[in-house]
Amino acid sequence: MTGVGRAVPQKSPPVRLVMVALVGVALAVVAVKLSAFQYSLAEVLPRTQYDVTLHAELDGHDGEVRVRTFLPQSDARQVVMTEQNLTAAGVSFSSEAVGLNRVATWEQSSAQDGQSLAYRFSVLATPVRYQIDPGLRVPDTYPASVRGYLAAEEHIQVDAPEIARTAESAGADHGTILERLQAVFALTSGMKQRPFKGTTDALTALRLGEASCNGKSRLFVALARRVGVPARLVGGFVMEPGVKRTTHQWAEAYVAGHWIPFDSTNHHFAELPERYLTLYTGDEALFRHTSDINFKYRFETETVLVPSPKVKSTFRFFNVWSLFDRLGLSFMLLRTLLMLPVGALVVVLFRNVIGVPTFGTFLPALIAASAGETGLWWGLLAVLIVVVVAATVRRAFHRLQLLHSPSLAILLAAVAVTLLTTALVSDAVGARKLAYVSVFPVAVLAISAERFFLELTEKGARPAFKSLLGTLFVMAACWAVMNSLALQVLLIGFPELLLIVVAVDVYLGRWIGVRLSEYLRFKRILLPRAGGAAP
Amino acid sequence: MMLPSWSEVRERWRTMVERRRDLVGINRRNVTLVYRHNPRKLYPEADDKLLCKQLMEREGVPLARTLAICEGLSQIPDTLESLRELEQFVVKPANASGGEGILVVGERVRDGVWRRAGGEELTLAEMRYRLAEIVFGAYSGDLEDRAFVEERIRPHPVFQAFWGDGLCDIRVITLEHRPVLCMVRVPTRESGGRANLHQGGIGLAVDLESGKTVRAYYRGSAIVTHPESGAPLVDIQLPRWPEVLETAERAARSVRLGYLGVDVVVDAERGCMVLEVNARPGLEIQNVHGHGLGEALRRYGGIA
Repeated sequence: MTGVGRAVPQKSPPVRLVMVALVGVALAVVAVKLSAFQYSLAEVLPRTQYDVTLHAELDGHDGEVRVRTFLPQSDARQVVMTEQNLTAAGVSFSSEAVGLNRVATWEQSSAQDGQSLAYRFSVLATPVRYQIDPGLRVPDTYPASVRGYLAAEEHIQVDAPEIARTAESAGADHGTILERLQAVFALTSGMKQRPFKGTTDALTALRLGEASCNGKSRLFVALARRVGVPARLVGGFVMEPGVKRTTHQWAEAYVAGHWIPFDSTNHHFAELPERYLTLYTGDEALFRHTSDINFKYRFETETVLVPSPKVKSTFRFFNVWSLFDRLGLSFMLLRTLLMLPVGALVVVLFRNVIGVPTFGTFLPALIAASAGETGLWWGLLAVLIVVVVAATVRRAFHRLQLLHSPSLAILLAAVAVTLLTTALVSDAVGARKLAYVSVFPVAVLAISAERFFLELTEKGARPAFKSLLGTLFVMAACWAVMNSLALQVLLIGFPELLLIVVAVDVYLGRWIGVRLSEYLRFKRILLPRAGGAAP
Repeated sequence: MMLPSWSEVRERWRTMVERRRDLVGINRRNVTLVYRHNPRKLYPEADDKLLCKQLMEREGVPLARTLAICEGLSQIPDTLESLRELEQFVVKPANASGGEGILVVGERVRDGVWRRAGGEELTLAEMRYRLAEIVFGAYSGDLEDRAFVEERIRPHPVFQAFWGDGLCDIRVITLEHRPVLCMVRVPTRESGGRANLHQGGIGLAVDLESGKTVRAYYRGSAIVTHPESGAPLVDIQLPRWPEVLETAERAARSVRLGYLGVDVVVDAERGCMVLEVNARPGLEIQNVHGHGLGEALRRYGGIA
């Protein structure tokens, strides 16, 4: 032995114990929440909030224009919040209750071509499902307010002989209310779907044997009324992230004091999913406007997760939800913070199990976390642009033989300018999503660009582009996992599940298996006959 | 093309599983060798080449002489002054790996102008820039660093014969100061005079007991002669054999790290010398030998 003294080889640390403890604590907390605090999953999990903007455009030809539409109202199924008329000043706006509906009117005495209107609101909705008592029979009489929903209308020809015959042959004219509704629904929902834009009345739908949503709904209403069940049309649209230029119609039937929804088009019997937004009831047109103004409309919908009221009220310990509320911080930020460890785990899997080269350990997860606004593809493109441009600038400055830190400072400036330029250019060419690249973390991109530049100069183009590709690939994987609604919902309701993520990290931290990429690297050792023969 | 039969596939799978047992991947190296035998706080004993040289010197390990040390920007003028008269020397960062930042000077042209080992001229200004880069940490992951100057090694004729333009070294993997596996790294023109395998260097597998080269490996396949010089590479007896291993062992004993890659060179006049010690030696040596490290660890390293 020498005089230096020697460190004894270290004993294996208690890895398994730590893993079991982490998983145990996580599961115990979940169990306590579910049993002792009686959390039900549905209550604790965050809700999807729909932020909807109605955009309309018209050509006023410098004349007087008037546009009338319906605004959504809060009811048992949907809560409408934070409404805002975003139309420019100069266009008068009013809203009033007309019958059951809320009518909005925009008026302008001399409207130019290309005039636009916009109205924004947020919706929290709950899915509904009704059980209709199978014993219920059609009552002899209905309250006065409902009786009107049995009568014929212009497009709902309740009294036509064909409607009566059809109700009879479908077997809807006898039995309990449930049986009658089932018979009517079977008929209308079994009809062929036809993407037809105009108005189809009940009789036409019946004769054609196919119809769009409004034809089927009118036929449903006509048949239901015919067999003694009050029914009415409902108009609205199906909220889905993105842009929609189509509206939707379904029906409601009056059963034992309740208006119950039926959508023959999408096969919802006595139920509606969360994403249905009711705008009006009755056989109405969603828009009425001055003629010849080339009127166009679209609904733009975005979804955000918001905490359920239950989560906010029950957390006394580690109550980050109410803290974020008080500080006015976005729920999205909280979500990102909770998802970041999951993204990091994805990076670990790719690096240590598959062996994909990336710039830095967690850069892909960090970049993916900020790609929420741009979306995945624009986000990838943005990273590619910024890293390549910044590395090119770095290379140009390299010729000046500047010292390290000043070079990095210049690189940072290059990244900032590239981000802004990309945002400006993409906004100008109409790629609005790419403009959100300005929210990308400057430092993270600068580090990526520096790594790319270093690999390019030290190891050459091939490994550098391999790492760049690896980084983009792992970033895409992180994005997919971090944006998984199911995982987000689970972690926001049960943040203690992060302990399980840590337990998996611990496991992978002691995993000594051969990485997938190493099978390739050592293929001549593992498969000596596979082409490694000496010349 | 014929598809392999099921039994062939099964046979190859079995071979793969069996050979995989001896293969040390990065995960296994880190967990079972580096973390277990090299406590992190002792890394500087290998990573800091100046500290490492100090420790080795204390144990009497033969080393290349240190001619100058430059510990900061203010010392650059003095360092340059001390180099003015020198003919042949090597400038190195104290904390860098993979041969990063190393400058080999082969000839003095006139005052303030040298010629690099590759042939290009090197001015005083370029030398100043390189020293500044080193002390600012450009080669050591953004940490401030020190530069030092060493005498240039004149390779033993056996190594000179492999390749004349660069320095061949002997990488000896040691576990708890027992040599377990060993290779010679031969530079090529392509590798820029560096002996690093990833940069296009050649690896020669050496039989630990006889000191003879048994296999040469270059860019994914086995070869027998140097692809550029044509020099024979296989079945060559390395000079001063037992001494190389003893030197590696002594170097390994002088630091408190257990799993090491000791780089030994054989100087034409002064014999064995330790270039540096690496606390995270690479795994490419397995490809050079054509089999995993596991068997050698069991046989020579005392690992069950």
